[in-house]
Amino acid sequence: MSQNETSTTQLEARHLTRHFSVRSSSGFFGPKRIVRAVDDVSLRLNAGRVTAVVGESGSGKSVLARMLARIVVPTSGDLVLQGTEVPVRSKRTLDYASQVQLVLQDPFASINPVHRVRHSLERPLLIHGARKSDVEALAAAALRRVSLEPPARFMDRYPHELSGGQLQRVSIARALCVKPKVLLADEPISMLDVSVRLGVLNLLRGLCDSEKLAILYITHDIASARYIADETIVMYAGQVVEQSNGTGLIDEPTHPYTQLLIASVPDPADPARATPEMADHTQVSIAQTGCRFSPRCPYVMDVCRTTEPPMFNVGDGHVSRCWLHSKSGEVVDVALPETQRGGTITKK
Amino acid sequence: MSDPLTTDSLEIQKQLPLSDDGAGVLPTNTTPINGLVLEVKDLSVDYGWGEHAVRAVNAVSLDVHRSQVLGIAGESGSGKSTLVYGLTRLLRAPGVISGGDVKLNLGKDDQGNEITVDLLKASQRELRKIRWSQVSIVLQSALNALNPVLRISKEFEEILKTHRPDMSKSERRARAVELLAMVGLEEDRLARYPHELSGGQRQRIMIALALALDPQLVIMDEPTTALDVVTQREIINELSELRARFGFAMIFITHDLSLLVELADEIAVMYAGAIVERAPAGALYSAPRHPYTLGLLNSSPPLHGARVELEGIPGSPPDLAEMPTGCSFHQRCPYKLDKCVTDVPPLLPVDHTGRLVACWLHGGGVSVPEPLAQMVAFSATTKLHAPSAPASPNPKDVS
Repeated sequence: MSQNETSTTQLEARHLTRHFSVRSSSGFFGPKRIVRAVDDVSLRLNAGRVTAVVGESGSGKSVLARMLARIVVPTSGDLVLQGTEVPVRSKRTLDYASQVQLVLQDPFASINPVHRVRHSLERPLLIHGARKSDVEALAAAALRRVSLEPPARFMDRYPHELSGGQLQRVSIARALCVKPKVLLADEPISMLDVSVRLGVLNLLRGLCDSEKLAILYITHDIASARYIADETIVMYAGQVVEQSNGTGLIDEPTHPYTQLLIASVPDPADPARATPEMADHTQVSIAQTGCRFSPRCPYVMDVCRTTEPPMFNVGDGHVSRCWLHSKSGEVVDVALPETQRGGTITKK
Repeated sequence: MSDPLTTDSLEIQKQLPLSDDGAGVLPTNTTPINGLVLEVKDLSVDYGWGEHAVRAVNAVSLDVHRSQVLGIAGESGSGKSTLVYGLTRLLRAPGVISGGDVKLNLGKDDQGNEITVDLLKASQRELRKIRWSQVSIVLQSALNALNPVLRISKEFEEILKTHRPDMSKSERRARAVELLAMVGLEEDRLARYPHELSGGQRQRIMIALALALDPQLVIMDEPTTALDVVTQREIINELSELRARFGFAMIFITHDLSLLVELADEIAVMYAGAIVERAPAGALYSAPRHPYTLGLLNSSPPLHGARVELEGIPGSPPDLAEMPTGCSFHQRCPYKLDKCVTDVPPLLPVDHTGRLVACWLHGGGVSVPEPLAQMVAFSATTKLHAPSAPASPNPKDVS
């Protein structure tokens, strides 16, 4: 599963970090606390590939997507769009918005309910400089791309007249109509009915294959990630804990957190499987020193409580942030392209 | 997980803390019931009146036995929530119950006579007594269900004060702490406000509140839909343990059929307001008989095996105001027959497992398509949560 020659990196994130400072629960005058929502995340979104980011609520996956869309300004780290470094701390430009588009979780909340579908599609076109005489045709073409046919049937509908699945397609069409290179999909199917979820997943997969879009697919549903991903990333408490080509980490999870995630998925085919015994996570907080998963980890060792683990190489393009692999794997810097990682210790 | 079969229901009752001070509640000194807890016959619910009425639930029959988990699966708009709001009389206008019969069995009184309440005819006064003490409900959004300006302790306080007037303040506090411990929460949560708790903790509080008065029937309306998988797994495991310990019956509503297969003893699949298939969980999973059930099962990508392209179910559910003629699923069904367009299929038994299916393919005279004709494999799934009550449906249910 080596990367194709044709697959070019569209958007690259280097050491993206976002910290929020919050008041602790003792009230307004209480001491401030830093929440490390996203900590040193590096990833590449390549043309024609779906990168899935899997994690539970609060793992920082949505903040990551918003940083990539430049809605949230990173505390530190860089973005590189098609080889050019982006000034992340300045205001987002129209050009960046036309290259990188975000699709949100709830289409009923993200599409203006008082306007017809036509308005939602034509407005971004006009903002991005399409001629007034062309917008109708471009909007219709966008609806066709997401299989809402005939477009005339949907153009003059109001959002409440459409089903959730149809409306999510409209929201994908709205993102696509400005011809982006990168599509960031933040939990695009979690609000949809089970029977229409596959339709939206197949649509994303098809767009990725036929139009060479680079797609970031954010989800908490690891089975859906397995269904469409070319590359899978698991996040926990703001960090990437495991990353692999294809679905390697789902088929052979090496990080205890990934193992827990997979064991938690309802799987009627294998009801007798053992769910790992882990500390109830409402009772434990995220560790401030050492491995962030250590308070919940069944394999916790002394080193986990004191020192944060680096990324270890555990296979072909498969890395895991866990001390259990310190013997077998070399430390890798995931910010480097896979070809340059080599076997040397490059971690800072 | 302990097997509910091994626990005698009398013993369960003894373990119940404070279960015998039921003063102020309808039946005092009830003996535990082993049989039917809830019996629903031909319940129909409309939204609106007269010619504008939309039938959201169409002649649904169910029965729930003690310590049984009945799962109700269906898409949004299939009427699964409306069904439970109807049978608990929680419907708000323009929802109207347009027909049917709902009987709640409250157990035996001192003389050994069965006490049953007709929920559809009960007065508001009677309903107030039954609600929470006999039937409780856990809603999907715990953030909306909990009062945002009250501390958690106040929620417990109010229920216990209303239904157990002879409990002292310290007893109420002790009971609240005990209930929290049951769902794995520390005592200090009582002083918190809902916004200070995580989604999983709030949902646990809702479950603890629902169990506060040892109800016979707990209704769960998508309790884990808003939670992530790890929290969902923890809550499902806790529910299974609590059910085994206290023996309450449960109606569990969700759109996630694979979750139900693990949790429920029996599953009813709803589509467009009616039950289209009802079967023991294992049989439903290993050998679906209705094309819609098959479609739902094929809509969840698997965690194992080769990656193959799945199709889901084409199209979208029908508009209840403009229901198609014949079978409500025929527009999306890959195995449609001519008869399906004109005639509504009745819900009939098709095999020895007590399964009911509403599909003309199983009406005889037609060869059943291969995916819907699989042998029932009694895998571990069927045995995992064996119901302690016989799950055989009453043939009279089919009407």
